Amino acid sequence: MKRLSTLVLAASLLAGTALAQAPDGSTLVIAQSTDANTFDPANISSRTTSNIAEHIFGTLYDVTGDGEIVPFLAESHEVSEDGKSVTFKLKEGLTCHDGEPLTAEDAAYSFNRAADPDLKFTGNTPGFIYSSIGFEEAVADDDLHVTLKLKNKSPILLGMIGEVFIHCKGSYEAMSPEEAAQTPIGSGPYKFVEWVRDDRVVLEKWDDYTLEPGSFDRLVWRVIPEASTRAAELMAGNVDVITNVAPDQIETINRSDKAEVVPVQGTRRIYIGFNQKDKFAETEGGKAIQNADVRRALQYAVDVPTICEGLLGTPCTRATGLVNPPRGNPDLEPYPYDPDKAEELLDAAGYPRGDDGVRFTLTLQSPNGRYLNDANVALAVGQFLSDIGVKTDVELLEFASVYIPLIRAHDAGPLFLLGSGGATWSALYDMADLSAVDAGTNYTEWKDEEFFAGWKKIEAAQTPEEEREVINEMLKIFYERGPWLLMYFQPDFYGISERLDWEPRRDEHINVTDAKLK
Amino acid sequence: MWTYIVRRLIQSVIVIIGVTLISFTALQMSGDPTYLYVSERASDEEIALARQKLGFDRPYYVQYLTFVANLAQGDFGESLSYRTPALDVVLERFPATIELTAVAMVIAIFGAIPLGVMAARRRGRPTDGTIMTLAIIGQSIPSFWLGIMLILFVGLGLGWLPISGHVPVLKPILEGHVLEGLRNIPAAVPYLIMPAFTIALFSLSRNARLVRSSMLEVLSQDFVRTARAKGLAERRVISDHALRNAWLPVVTMIGLEFGFLLSGVVVVETIFSWPGVGRLVFNAINQRDIPLVQTAVVIFSFVFVLLNLAVDLVYAWLDPRIRLR
Repeated sequence: MKRLSTLVLAASLLAGTALAQAPDGSTLVIAQSTDANTFDPANISSRTTSNIAEHIFGTLYDVTGDGEIVPFLAESHEVSEDGKSVTFKLKEGLTCHDGEPLTAEDAAYSFNRAADPDLKFTGNTPGFIYSSIGFEEAVADDDLHVTLKLKNKSPILLGMIGEVFIHCKGSYEAMSPEEAAQTPIGSGPYKFVEWVRDDRVVLEKWDDYTLEPGSFDRLVWRVIPEASTRAAELMAGNVDVITNVAPDQIETINRSDKAEVVPVQGTRRIYIGFNQKDKFAETEGGKAIQNADVRRALQYAVDVPTICEGLLGTPCTRATGLVNPPRGNPDLEPYPYDPDKAEELLDAAGYPRGDDGVRFTLTLQSPNGRYLNDANVALAVGQFLSDIGVKTDVELLEFASVYIPLIRAHDAGPLFLLGSGGATWSALYDMADLSAVDAGTNYTEWKDEEFFAGWKKIEAAQTPEEEREVINEMLKIFYERGPWLLMYFQPDFYGISERLDWEPRRDEHINVTDAKLK
Repeated sequence: MWTYIVRRLIQSVIVIIGVTLISFTALQMSGDPTYLYVSERASDEEIALARQKLGFDRPYYVQYLTFVANLAQGDFGESLSYRTPALDVVLERFPATIELTAVAMVIAIFGAIPLGVMAARRRGRPTDGTIMTLAIIGQSIPSFWLGIMLILFVGLGLGWLPISGHVPVLKPILEGHVLEGLRNIPAAVPYLIMPAFTIALFSLSRNARLVRSSMLEVLSQDFVRTARAKGLAERRVISDHALRNAWLPVVTMIGLEFGFLLSGVVVVETIFSWPGVGRLVFNAINQRDIPLVQTAVVIFSFVFVLLNLAVDLVYAWLDPRIRLR
């Protein structure tokens, strides 16, 4: 027995000495569920990778946790009269982590490299940001001024380029693609130290950084895929921040006195789509939901706050539209849960209960495991609708290979549960899902003429106030006869060590440059 | 003997090609992976362009034959998610999996022998009953549950062992930093104990039962009775006569054991954040990273075939009646 105790003690001591990546006064440890996959700035497409990359690379402008757009590496910007050229003035004295001065030529190179078709990049920058802003090319005017040339005026440019990472031309021209993917040389507050695949990424504060530095000298981004292991490491004091806390672990972590779980209303909009594609009109239920009065009636049938408390582990406010607060229409109130009113409206719309108590039948398709408790949420919605006589069959489908192809082909439904990423910094960004009747992301094939005419009015708006007025009009239309059964903004749960003073953001970005010890 | 080895190696090439064909077809049947590599807001044109860049616009058989042709030249292709050579990605994680699997095998085999022998020698007594009951429990516990319980009670509750993580030993040694690897051993052991035990428990329990039944059969043989009759000490009867004969079925199991333990590492590496190939393959399948899955499959198959060949050779050495043809 004595020998066993000695062995255990020795093992414990060794464990202590081996844990070189544990938090201390100068080291902050963050645990995410998946590893980074590439640090080539033009190939980054996952949020977990972006979270790390945001500390390595600077961007011209940045979006704060409150959704404000602020200058970062740039000092200011000027828009040409036609809106197709935007010139950024860089801050002086910037350098990259290899000591190379960061000039407008480097900024232009960063933009143009990602767009180079020969390099076949598939990250978010070439795959989505450039098409959203109509990017054509970037030109260095002199050492401090870089101009972005666009196909047309873009009201969402500044927020979108908050994810275009800036780096130096000299270092990246000298790197092989493998080196660019594995050993980034950035321009942000922390420099890359090491990446042990599937284990950790280590960053160190960059001493020559001339902008606002982080409080911690060292950041360790660990990869802990299993939620209960992440929770255990947090409670053991081995990590400071964990993501994606499972709702059933919230109480255990909060009771530990070592950490607490902070729920955040995220920006991902969870909704039930009413698919109005012609083929669905062949069924009675599919035809019914093409009627705006029916869609409006069904809004009253679902008790969203109860779903949040019961199935998501946190209270929530029901969404009033497709725009994240506080940029939605402030005059709209969330639909209350009022099944009697729902039944009344359905009767009035010409869909009374039949002898069997059923008004019409619908199928609700949902992914299983893609969003927080999605399958149970879909089942609950199905039950709420069935309760008012809309018999709803719920079909749970595998997300990546079955569900997404259906969604992309606009063939999911006639009811489908989906989560769509949003942002805190722009109503227009959130509304871009419905940028046109034939937009690929108009998964419901909604064709409301008045709503879609709003986009022309936005283009013609002369002032931000005029633009806001049109947005509010469009959101009101969406609220009254839109193609979404309004649900909630998916909550995110962060576990945060008691020693840390840090607030998680709503937009799934983890930026810890402002984190400090209590 | 050499003819046999060469023939088995040629057979292994056929096995590996068959395995790659099956896994490639299975991944293709699971749908178009392009959607996993584009933004959720990507337009149809952007999706088509990404499909072309990733090579999924070509017919299935062209993709497969290209893979096999490149494989013949030692080119495993580039991982779609890591954008680096797939072979490098797999080989980088292989040492961590070997460390875990090797330690689990040692526990499963060398833990099972004394337990099985002890149970056989005390057949029908409380020791036998206790060992066999524990063995049945060990076979019944799912590894994911055991892993989480160990983390909660041994790692978090008692604080005796680290909860997750890994200190490399084999990788620095293979990279030529032998001293660094050896120096890491004391620090690596605490990280290995819980995951290795979690993987090994099922095999340990099964092997203990196997050794027991094999020993019981051998102990009733005439040559054991003869050994005892000529006055040999019981310890020598067991170790020199009975155990060597009881080894045969156990050695057969060892060949299969590696494959079984490898299938177990997927779950255990995930629970204990062990940066090995099992977790990599799990993620690669979720991401439909076909080149990466194929590379891992080829390497796993090759190692599995080689181990089975080694087992056959050991089998012949242990039992001279067996001749390899």
